[in-house]
Amino acid sequence: MKWRKWNNIIHRDLGYLCAGLTIVYVVSGIAVNHVRDWNPNFKIENANARIETVPVGDPRSPTVIREILSRLGASGEYRDSFRPDSSTLQIFTEDGLVSVDLITGNVLLERVKSRTLLREANFLHLNHAKKLWTYMADLYAIALGLLAITGLFVLKGKKGITGRGAWLTGMGVLIPVVFLWLYL
Amino acid sequence: MRLSALCGLVAAAVGCSSSESGGAKYGEELTLSETTRISQVLNDPESYVGQRLLVEGTVVNVCEMRGCWLELASDRDFEKLRIKVDDGVMVFPMSARGQKARVEGVFEKLTLTEEEALEQARHQAEEHGTEFDPSVVSGPATIYQLKGIGALIEDQG
Repeated sequence: MKWRKWNNIIHRDLGYLCAGLTIVYVVSGIAVNHVRDWNPNFKIENANARIETVPVGDPRSPTVIREILSRLGASGEYRDSFRPDSSTLQIFTEDGLVSVDLITGNVLLERVKSRTLLREANFLHLNHAKKLWTYMADLYAIALGLLAITGLFVLKGKKGITGRGAWLTGMGVLIPVVFLWLYL
Repeated sequence: MRLSALCGLVAAAVGCSSSESGGAKYGEELTLSETTRISQVLNDPESYVGQRLLVEGTVVNVCEMRGCWLELASDRDFEKLRIKVDDGVMVFPMSARGQKARVEGVFEKLTLTEEEALEQARHQAEEHGTEFDPSVVSGPATIYQLKGIGALIEDQG
């Protein structure tokens, strides 16, 4: 039948069109699904260090901060500093945080690295871009819907929607229903 | 080379929320022009509850998991103000730490029962990746925070 031919053409071409973005959504989907266990956008590396004596002077003065950074072997460049309490000095650098215990000299070095490509994928998947991307993502969602519907009718006969396809489609519908029944 | 070029292309394509004055905009446009000092707010928080405020300071902490809150340093040592936003409405990146930010929002007061305070402390420990110590909560708690509406974080490197 002619309608099936068109159905399959639409299914095939939408499949090609959606492949790239689907991979982006798959990767990001798994990444953000486990947000409780890891940070999907940034990698945080911690290291401990120690400075023998804390330089004398106002801990937030550029001279003292540069001296501390120099003793830690870091460049003297930093963004800003903060004292959360009387015994701690936090120094914010381009790539992270240097937290100095002003009493003991113990230092916690926290290095933040962006997860290349994954962060960009999450940015799109979670629609942080907003604006025009919102409509692009809407179009993609509609295309996915069409892919699903046309996919039902690609084959006819025993392996089509009137045979094996009906059972598999039914199972696919039942999966969310079962989980809703379990958790709601 | 190709990978970094692709990353640059993606970043250029999606990084459309930069403001004309430099920096990154989050949420709604800032409408207030006059900033209120954080130390002034923290001196008498009760009198600011329900008020729309524009505050300014260095970002000293960001929610690691969802970017759904940040903390701004006060203009006075040892003080900071928590800015909370609804999940997904604004997402602050960890790279914002150490940058100057201006945030507009409504100042609010949260009254927590001991159980709620315990749950919040547990959640915060989880977010910071530290061990939860129940002894830090000694009873019901009152929290003051700014419910963020819009933000401008300057010069994100």
